[in-house]
Amino acid sequence: MVEAGAWWTPLAAPALLLGLAALAVAGDAALDARGAGRSVTPAGVLRPFLAVPRALVEQPRRLPASDRWLWRLGVVTVPVAAVLSTLVIPFGNHVAADLSVGVVWFNAMEVMTWAGLWLAGWGPNAAFSLVGGYRFLAQGLAYELPLMFALISAATGARSLRVSGVAEAQHGLWYAVWMPFAFAVYLAGVLAFSFLGPFAYPAGRDIADGVLGETCGVDRLLLRAGRWLWLAAGAAMAVPLFLGGGAGPWLPAWAWSLVKTLLVLGLLVWVMRRLPVVRADRYVEVAWVVLLPAAIAQALVPALVGLGAG
Amino acid sequence: MGLTRLLVRAAAARPRVLLVTTPGGTAVRLAAERELRCRDWPTAATPAGADLMLVAGPECRERCRELGPALDRLWEDTPRPRVRLRAETAEDVAAALDTGRARLGATEHAHSGAGRTGRTHGQSGGTGRTPGQGEGSGRTRTAGGEWRTSADGERRAPVGGDTDGGMEMPGGLPMAEVGEDRDGLALDRLHVSLGPFLADWPSGLIVHLVLQGDVVQRARLGGPCGGTTEPFWARPWARAAEGEPVPLAEAARRRAAAHLDSLGRLLAVAGWPAEAVTARRIRDDLLERAPAEAVLPRALRLQRRVGRSRTLDRLTRGIGTLSTADARAAGVSGPAARAGGDVPARYRRWLADAVDDVRRLDGRSLLGPTAPDPGALTDAAAPPVPTALLDPTAQESPRGRWDAGRPPSVALAGLLPRLLEGTELAAARLVVAGLDPDPDELAALTREFTGG
Repeated sequence: MVEAGAWWTPLAAPALLLGLAALAVAGDAALDARGAGRSVTPAGVLRPFLAVPRALVEQPRRLPASDRWLWRLGVVTVPVAAVLSTLVIPFGNHVAADLSVGVVWFNAMEVMTWAGLWLAGWGPNAAFSLVGGYRFLAQGLAYELPLMFALISAATGARSLRVSGVAEAQHGLWYAVWMPFAFAVYLAGVLAFSFLGPFAYPAGRDIADGVLGETCGVDRLLLRAGRWLWLAAGAAMAVPLFLGGGAGPWLPAWAWSLVKTLLVLGLLVWVMRRLPVVRADRYVEVAWVVLLPAAIAQALVPALVGLGAG
Repeated sequence: MGLTRLLVRAAAARPRVLLVTTPGGTAVRLAAERELRCRDWPTAATPAGADLMLVAGPECRERCRELGPALDRLWEDTPRPRVRLRAETAEDVAAALDTGRARLGATEHAHSGAGRTGRTHGQSGGTGRTPGQGEGSGRTRTAGGEWRTSADGERRAPVGGDTDGGMEMPGGLPMAEVGEDRDGLALDRLHVSLGPFLADWPSGLIVHLVLQGDVVQRARLGGPCGGTTEPFWARPWARAAEGEPVPLAEAARRRAAAHLDSLGRLLAVAGWPAEAVTARRIRDDLLERAPAEAVLPRALRLQRRVGRSRTLDRLTRGIGTLSTADARAAGVSGPAARAGGDVPARYRRWLADAVDDVRRLDGRSLLGPTAPDPGALTDAAAPPVPTALLDPTAQESPRGRWDAGRPPSVALAGLLPRLLEGTELAAARLVVAGLDPDPDELAALTREFTGG
């Protein structure tokens, strides 16, 4: 049984998320080092974190006619929304807030990044930044609906929008097994809302890093951290939604949650490098013509099973 | 402030480098890319994300004097703490980077003149005269002239004297003007220049775009600031054309590396950094005279991964289509013409050509792609011909048949405006990266622009 609202959980959830995101960054750095022919050393893996002291000493830039407040608001929104989303994700037997509409809460926080990233692109009053911001909206149009149906599939199967309820409903048979398509669409959605790897379109190298291009100092750190926090949050959410939460033999529930989250996170970090950036103008077509109907069909499966079971 | 010093020193341990290549600086760029990769120093795409600015290549002299102010603007846009470096030759790179890191770690330097970074628009009076202001970030605001009146594509909109001086327009920037788009709708027109210094862009090339949304409505080649008498990639051909004996194997090595360099740039633009790194590593090993048998398996693996990637194919299909006949009519003779198709056709051609060239390195089959007897290419029993020399007319240089008066990149660059119009910004970048004109070969074009 999941226990909600212990006093320490609102502190532990962000800390855990930060730890997972840091692991993802380190894992990515290790793969980078291997790809570039450098030896993979602990020091090398930790080098990306030097961005933190750098962000603290870097001085802010002043851009003419930039919308400073909206820009800052957008930049802050991305990591904050990622942290807020974790409040409903059970880890082992604990969760910060076991909302009856937890799945909707997670989805709402994820949609907040739309506003955040668009504002981050709009703020600096620069062409490539703005293009980057709009690219995220285009990408959102492509990934969001299939992702929502993937979430709905899991919720329908459990007949509950409570995340812990979804996890508990999967006794023995994970939703990832009998809703593999919804699981795959969900994982693609995770990469998309963390705008990493094949979905790094809003921060593409072809538009000089897009939404990230004009940011510096703490702003840049927040946006970049936001990406990895979202990746970690998405991986953590996949566990109760599709992988049976903390259920498993021998080990305690928290250990199973951790193992499963790390496996999903590892899979995402690995996949990120295997694909080029999927441009939204091409992806929208696939998303609406193939993924969306298939996601609806997938959502029908648990609905019919639920009806049959009475 | 012990803590600040500690933070500055820690930050300087892994500086991000804005690598800017001046015309003729290809060899220095290659050395710098290699050095940065080995040191694990990230390359920045914009000045905002950089700590060090490394200008690779010779000083900008008469042919590209316009680039000087563009370099200065990049520098002004780099947030403190920052260090500007210059490496004129490939040998200077490592020392310059070491100096940069040492200076970056010195707190006194980092905080000198700390009042304000970034630059207000009013200061850009000097840069307003620059024709190629599409600096690294392609930003609308700093680049003074990037907002231009659409009535007169050439004329720069009036730029305010002072940002704080009560301008009518926000920040003293002129508003975008409205024009009809391809469907007859009245939409804002935005003038954006790509180049001369953009990440993963043929450095020095300038393309002026009129954008509506992110669709290129009009494209015009700006006066390219480039050109050297001896372009790095075509050097064996240039030397052979002057009568110097150049071993064919050396030319093949250079050509394979050139294709891999182009491929690395295309993959970076397509957003596949992991494979871009692979291509660049093979390129660097080839230039370091790695033996063919060490390089070939890796080149084949790259060909499999990238050439057979269905995702990359789907994403780039139908972009920048150019038939062989059209290409030849435009004077293009290299892989772009032989590929005869869209971006995927071109990168597959590069991959296949690079693999062929690597096979040719071991000295067994030294006949070119135009060899009369195709069987000779694979005949392992053929006696080695180590003294085979490059015939610059029979063998294609990396970008096409070598002609010192009109190098092959001139025709490639000439094709750009036609291919860019009507594409989206992302596709436009792919088109340019797929043709990849070598700015070092654009001396002839520069002369046309400055002369006429």
